[in-house]
Amino acid sequence: MKLYSKKAVIKALCFVCLGSSTLALADGRVVDKVYHPYVQPLERSFEYRYFYQRQADHPDNNAMGQKLGYGFSVAERAALEIYAIADRVSPEDYKLSGYELELRWMLTEQGQYSADWGMLFELERQNNQDNYEFTTGLLMEKEFGPTSLTLNALAVYEWGKTLDPEWESEFRAQYRYRWLPAVQPAIELYAGENYKGAGPSLMGVHKFDRQEQLKWELAVIVAIDNQTVDRTLRFALEYEF
Amino acid sequence: MLALTLPVVAEQSVFELHIKDHLFQPSVLYVPAGEKMKLLVFNQDPSPEEFESFSLNREKVILGKGKATLFIGPLEPGKYEFFGEYNPDSAQGVLIALPEQEWLQHKAKHAD
Repeated sequence: MKLYSKKAVIKALCFVCLGSSTLALADGRVVDKVYHPYVQPLERSFEYRYFYQRQADHPDNNAMGQKLGYGFSVAERAALEIYAIADRVSPEDYKLSGYELELRWMLTEQGQYSADWGMLFELERQNNQDNYEFTTGLLMEKEFGPTSLTLNALAVYEWGKTLDPEWESEFRAQYRYRWLPAVQPAIELYAGENYKGAGPSLMGVHKFDRQEQLKWELAVIVAIDNQTVDRTLRFALEYEF
Repeated sequence: MLALTLPVVAEQSVFELHIKDHLFQPSVLYVPAGEKMKLLVFNQDPSPEEFESFSLNREKVILGKGKATLFIGPLEPGKYEFFGEYNPDSAQGVLIALPEQEWLQHKAKHAD
């Protein structure tokens, strides 16, 4: 018996491509974590994220960013995470550029319906410019046999001293093959304001002891249009305990 | 996204697992392959436990003296190992998905 259909996978991938070509995107960084819609009670974690983008003759050339976060579940289906954000745009050095508060809310149990759903709420303050960014949207994941498709459709509202208030949209997708716990290859796609990129990624999890595990993610995203900075490296580590 | 998520309208079989003294009972659970099913996990211990299985792609914390519902399948016939993340040395089990004929035989045998 065939338990998942190739047609469904093709349909999903077509949807991803269609979505990326029709959405407009945001001023901020588009390449970031692709969120899964799951929350566990008693969840606690430290998280580190890093990105580096480079392309000669591009206005967003040679920018780097780091994020350090602490997260914990506040209810059976909701988790909060607080981040400090540091950015560096060459030739300047790193500076603490902002803070972010994030709430993830699991709407459905995994496997309960034909896809799993969650929501994301984020509030970011850019302290050097007194700008704010509020992000919210849907997180979805669907299993196709040994693979999983994760989609994030986000709406972003920006305002502040140096920003005209505006709504933007972001779209992130990840199609992952759950090969081994420690090694799970994937492809990722991002679309946002002045940004469309896609590329391979690799992720996994290593368990140390009871309740202790380290999750890692690495992705190289390349431009799929002329406006986008050509190469972005994304790396993340999450220690759960 | 909504196009991918039409509701599933099928009656689901329900199976039960109990956690007691950091052990899964039963430690071997037979289920039918090719069906969506509901797995109720009762934690009779006062401390929390986490049902975890990479092959089933499921991870769920069950609070002490609590209950959790997992939605599993449809599964290919085969063995799917699971363990308790809080007590991985003792809390171990395997879920065996049987093809239709073997499942009917298994059900008939255990109905006696």
